[in-house]
Amino acid sequence: MQGIARGEALVTRQPLCLYDSLDPKSGRIVNRRHDLYGKNVSGKILIFPRGIGSSTSAATILEAIRCNKAPNAIINLETEPIIAVGAILAEKLYGKTIPIVHRPEKNPADLIETRDLTEVNASQGRIELLKRHRRKSPHKTGGA
Amino acid sequence: MFLTREDEALLKGEHGEGAIIAMSVLVKLGEMYDADTMLNIENVHIDGAAYGWINDSGLELVEKLYTSGTRFRVPATLNPSSIDFELWKKLNVPSRIAEKQMKLANALVGMGATPTWTCAPYQYGANIRLGQNIAWGESNAIGFANTVVGARTERLGDLADVCSAVVGKYPNFGLYRGENRRGNLLFELDNNCFETLDSTDYGTIGFFIGSIAEARVPVVKGIPKDVTTDQLKSYCAAAAVGGSVGLSHLCGVTPDAKTLAQAFHGSRPEEKISIGVDELEQTRQKLCNLKRDSVDVVCLGCPHCSVQELTKLAQLLKGKKVKKNVRLMVLTSRAAKTLAAEIGAVDTIEASGGNVIADTCWNFVPFKGKTLMTDSVKMAWVSTSKFTEVGIGNMEKCVEAAVATKQ
Repeated sequence: MQGIARGEALVTRQPLCLYDSLDPKSGRIVNRRHDLYGKNVSGKILIFPRGIGSSTSAATILEAIRCNKAPNAIINLETEPIIAVGAILAEKLYGKTIPIVHRPEKNPADLIETRDLTEVNASQGRIELLKRHRRKSPHKTGGA
Repeated sequence: MFLTREDEALLKGEHGEGAIIAMSVLVKLGEMYDADTMLNIENVHIDGAAYGWINDSGLELVEKLYTSGTRFRVPATLNPSSIDFELWKKLNVPSRIAEKQMKLANALVGMGATPTWTCAPYQYGANIRLGQNIAWGESNAIGFANTVVGARTERLGDLADVCSAVVGKYPNFGLYRGENRRGNLLFELDNNCFETLDSTDYGTIGFFIGSIAEARVPVVKGIPKDVTTDQLKSYCAAAAVGGSVGLSHLCGVTPDAKTLAQAFHGSRPEEKISIGVDELEQTRQKLCNLKRDSVDVVCLGCPHCSVQELTKLAQLLKGKKVKKNVRLMVLTSRAAKTLAAEIGAVDTIEASGGNVIADTCWNFVPFKGKTLMTDSVKMAWVSTSKFTEVGIGNMEKCVEAAVATKQ
């Protein structure tokens, strides 16, 4: 999915099943077994290796986009078609969607940490780290 | 991507407005995954049949298709709905949910879907065969269709299945392509370690394999010849949630992988992994965190119980009573419930205090309590947002947890 987005990164090395992990109405990760449990993906640049599990994840991401609770962009090593379908449908139905980058040259989880300000240009296939998060700086929420 | 004249006609609206939406979504998906053509699809299983899963956005799409006169071009079955169409009031499902579900049902059935409302359509309702290109949603059913039947389906996302039923097409990528069905990993089941394997064991094996295979194709040697359809159902469901396994080659079961050479397309496995008692025990520990002696909920039927499973459960429950503070939920299809009722199994289960629920998924049945016992590895893994403690045991153990010790 093409497009440009900016936001704070939210990074995990654990595969993610959106269906049982994401509450699309709030953007919260509700799966107790996931290391992002309790975090909110809304407005973030969500970085995870790949989707797993249920085919319902397509509807989950579509609903999150409709409710404006989706991440600003998704970066995967390999994007599951199930997640891509949700983003394509959002564009058809609501004229809005989120950029998705997959198969990047380097593993973004090695280079980007949670809360780093990140820009994704999916049209050009570029991921840019704009600003490292410093622990003592006041908390800022990124927006696209 | 190469598009045929028929594909172009669907895109241009010669077959109606709904076909434009459906076809353009599928073509875009195909472009993302480098598909070369659009395949003709002969059968669809629609995962997005529950309002609770596809939400208002999904309902909006389906109603938009239906009201614009769209009709399905290929046979389609439906996954569980958000309600048991007969019992929803008794089960305390909010009427707001039931009304939206009925709208969704009206549109899906109106477009031509068969109202199977089951996650095991391969047991009741769907007719598919070896080598057929089909477009299925619902991860356990995808696994079963590819692994046990030898039909071919990619792992469809919700609503992509609806799009596929509208046009009878799906882009040629992933598991439709022969080269992607080649086995990657070899798992060897150490048969000497196991006296007999029950459905829950097959689920545990599936989960273990899924968690290692992730998105690769596992080949499994040593599956006993007496494996049942219900056990394979449990295996496929767990392999799909342990990783993203949509196809396993089970030597002796999978019809297009009768031998190891056939399963690996003549190449060598990337890895060999043996599965014995230790692997199963470690997997069980990863899945269970039940500390108490008693549970609030005992649930069977994830995926939906077959007639055989309902009959066995009735035999185990006969003459026993479910404890007052325990809720025994049994999920099944309308077809299986009707057949099991004919032979008295449903009455027996209900007389003991169990609840036989059709058309829907445990996800949508309101219940009280935070601790669970189930025979389903899939449920144990995906239900953590609802339960704080989860235990797994076979059907006998589940019955033990549900019934009072002294009658």
